[in-house]
Amino acid sequence: MAIDNDLELMLRVRRGDAESFDELLHRHRLPVVNYFCRMVRDRALAEDLAQEAFLRVYQARHRYQPEAKFTTWLYRIATNLALNAIRDRKGKGSSAPADSEGEVREGDSEVEQIPDSRPTVEQRLVDSDRERVIREAVEALPANQRAAVILHKYQEVDYRQIAHVLGVSESAVKSLLFRAYENLRGRLEPLLKGGQV
Amino acid sequence: MKCVEREQLFAFTHQMLEARVESEVRAHLAECSACRAVAEGFRQLDAVLDEWKPTEPSPWFDARVRAALAAEGEKRAARPLFGLRWAQLLVPAVVMALVVLGVLLLRRSPQAPQPVARQQSPQVSQPARAVLPETQPKPLAKAQPPAVTQPQAAATAEEDELSLYQNLRVLEDYDLLANFDVLSELPARGKKIVN
Repeated sequence: MAIDNDLELMLRVRRGDAESFDELLHRHRLPVVNYFCRMVRDRALAEDLAQEAFLRVYQARHRYQPEAKFTTWLYRIATNLALNAIRDRKGKGSSAPADSEGEVREGDSEVEQIPDSRPTVEQRLVDSDRERVIREAVEALPANQRAAVILHKYQEVDYRQIAHVLGVSESAVKSLLFRAYENLRGRLEPLLKGGQV
Repeated sequence: MKCVEREQLFAFTHQMLEARVESEVRAHLAECSACRAVAEGFRQLDAVLDEWKPTEPSPWFDARVRAALAAEGEKRAARPLFGLRWAQLLVPAVVMALVVLGVLLLRRSPQAPQPVARQQSPQVSQPARAVLPETQPKPLAKAQPPAVTQPQAAATAEEDELSLYQNLRVLEDYDLLANFDVLSELPARGKKIVN
């Protein structure tokens, strides 16, 4: 029996229906893995985090309240994991000074570099130059701006949902996205003019 | 004609405006080429961002998630349910509590045994009781408290020892004393010992 509604599937999972969880996994694994890939760059880490996100969904199934969309809940879990991973990575191998409180800093006009975000040789071969420039521009955004852009642009999450995911107001999301796009516009200027990198 | 702010144009191109404001911006864009260019710039940026294509998860991703879920299920199965665990702990806890309660009640009882009196040698105490019924020993020790601290225990021991000495009047009886080998060589009653 096909069930279109994620919420109904999740309610079934809450009642112990393993097949419904398989269906949810099948539906959301591609966007969730891609979300992590775009957030943390490292594909192996992205899959680990995606696995952890699904595991947490399963573990928290009894606490699931069908008040918001399932994807809002899913991306809230995923975003927390991604932001923690970015913070941990900055704390471990960074040569740049970390924030004193260890929080993911959200710069207004500055952009922060992920220290070990340089593409591997394999990625350089696979990626087109244009795609690499775009990826590096998004990855150079502060973590909250990056999450907002990826959720909005690539995961097609509504800005009201993004507000719930990030735990901020809707107007804050609009402002966050605007600043992120302004940053991207500056970095992607050559591509916007139709030039080759 | 006042131009629209960049942030509002961004919101317009991403369908973030209320219907009324959106129609106002749309009307402005129909007349303002500068604002149209800004809005077009945001659309071009969106188009460029679309070039970052998604990647497929590795073929073993689903299997890994299912394995992690199975491991989680086994972990939960090995761990008893919360209520059952409490039930399992409750039985020995109740038994232990009953045992402790019983011991405490016994120790508080006024009929509690008087260990000091019983520790006397049967050679001495039994005849003493027979010969001197008036020397019925006084209550030697008070009822033992259930839990005695170290200073209290020391005080109780002193009281017991004192009671023992008080009850040793029985030793003044010569017949009794004569039963002891060491004392048998002493002179008979009424005779003075001459060195």
